[in-house]
Amino acid sequence: MHMADALLSPAVGIAMDAVAVAAIGYSAAKVKKDELSDKKIPLIGVAGAMVFAGQMINFTIPGTGSSGHIGGGILLAGLLGGFPAFLAITAVLIIQCLFFADGGLLALGCNIFNMGVIPCLLVYPLLFKPLISKNLGAKRLSIASIIAVIVGLEVGAFAVVLETTASGITELPFGTFSGLMLPIHLAIGSIEGVVTAGVLCFVYKMRPEIISSATGGQRLTGVPVKKPLIALVCLTLVVGGALSIFASSNPDGLEWAMGKTSAEELEADNAVANGAAAVQDSTAFLPDYALASDPENPVGTTVSGLVGAGITFALAAAAGLGISAVKKRKKASVSA
Amino acid sequence: MSSITAKAGELRALETLSGKNTAIHRLAPGVKIAATLAFIVVCASFGRYEFFRLVPYLFFPFIMMALAELPYRLLLTRTLIALPFCLFAGLANVFYDRAAAFSVYGIAVSFGTLSLLTILLKTYLCVMAALLLAATTPFVEITASLRRAHLPTAFVMIFETTYRYTGVLLEEVHSMTTAYRLRSGTKKALDMRHMGSFLGQLVLRGFDRAERVHAAQRCRGYSLRRIPPPRRKLRLSDAAYLAAVCIPAALLRFVALY
Repeated sequence: MHMADALLSPAVGIAMDAVAVAAIGYSAAKVKKDELSDKKIPLIGVAGAMVFAGQMINFTIPGTGSSGHIGGGILLAGLLGGFPAFLAITAVLIIQCLFFADGGLLALGCNIFNMGVIPCLLVYPLLFKPLISKNLGAKRLSIASIIAVIVGLEVGAFAVVLETTASGITELPFGTFSGLMLPIHLAIGSIEGVVTAGVLCFVYKMRPEIISSATGGQRLTGVPVKKPLIALVCLTLVVGGALSIFASSNPDGLEWAMGKTSAEELEADNAVANGAAAVQDSTAFLPDYALASDPENPVGTTVSGLVGAGITFALAAAAGLGISAVKKRKKASVSA
Repeated sequence: MSSITAKAGELRALETLSGKNTAIHRLAPGVKIAATLAFIVVCASFGRYEFFRLVPYLFFPFIMMALAELPYRLLLTRTLIALPFCLFAGLANVFYDRAAAFSVYGIAVSFGTLSLLTILLKTYLCVMAALLLAATTPFVEITASLRRAHLPTAFVMIFETTYRYTGVLLEEVHSMTTAYRLRSGTKKALDMRHMGSFLGQLVLRGFDRAERVHAAQRCRGYSLRRIPPPRRKLRLSDAAYLAAVCIPAALLRFVALY
């Protein structure tokens, strides 16, 4: 479910990054308020690492022969509580992005929202906790885990569809995309739900205090909700607004989404775009090689494009190889 | 299950690379983070069919890999991990967007194909930018710059411990899965009914270990609220690097070369 930079427009990506930063700030303030935070922080860190390590374990799904692995939002929330779990998941997502090329830096905000905010800060307090608030026991814990994991994954998958469609990089129609994503994640969710239930029940049997303390001291007191919420809304509006102006000068992003629904392209009637086009016209060094008869062709000058791209690629590769060769020679002469 | 050791190896490989001493490694981490983010945003802002205009951006990863003396193959194979999801989304374009964009010697290339290529190139560029950052900046410097950027201490601490414990727990999982495999004959993966207790054991072991480590650290005077390392003065090379990445990236965004 990791989103990649290549499928996102900057407007969507940066707006979601702003949301993620606000959520991190708020959750960190909540964790800090906890008296035991100094002792708890290593536990939160190790829990994040556990999700990571847990994802490496393949297990066979009965009757299918295929194998699956766990995700972890609800599992962590069940062990630590919503806010600490959110911070742990965020840390895992950043590490996956930086060190394992899983998800992108621009897409981090989206991924943190889909896999962190939704399960830990929305599904956990609104669904999981009420479900286990009365008569906490293995049976209730199992039912709550399965339902919460499925709901969390489905909402997350739907968020992926929304973010991708709003970015307008892929041609997949909204309906088809949802039709593919939701059933797949329903299947994944039910498997992951069963495994999550298994883990939480095991921990509850061995150390019931871990689960009950996670669900205990997490009341929304101490930290003001209003201020961060207002700041978050303002930040999103400013960032989204500023970037959509930029986005509208390109035939992608929001305009594409609008163009799809109204079945006509909006004119890019904006000073930045016109200025850029003028500069582009005057500086292009292979200007009139277009084969296409359609002047509106977004590919533009095809032969010049192909030749130019080919030359550029060769130059880039040569630059890299050249620098490497010079460096090697220098090193050889130093050691000799 | 060998993938577990492979993953731990991957984590260590990047950490080893980030300890090198080249001109790129010596740059201020904050500058590298800023340049990487700017590069990714510019790449992501290109339209669906602007494949050719994205090609010049390949200069960045190629030159960076050479200057930082990084192994081409390692980074290339790592970027392949990011491709499947993008390939799936991109392939949809091939089926939905069939109008011919242009033809090369009679072979028509559709808009869908062009947008698929654009997505793949974008993926490569963005993923490489993030990997290059991780391979040229030691982890402690990344967290130090997060602290200086006033991200909440609690979060930076969690980020640090998660990273450190990932290596430790991957080894733990490796020994647990090896033991399971030896007990259970020729099974390649765990039975799903064993997952609950297996992962549950990992949870309890992990918590116990973290508590022990933390207690030992506290005994030796370790505190979570560490003072951030002194801000390193920006050098001319930092400014030059930032300019060398951002100015061409911005120019190429607005000016077409061909």
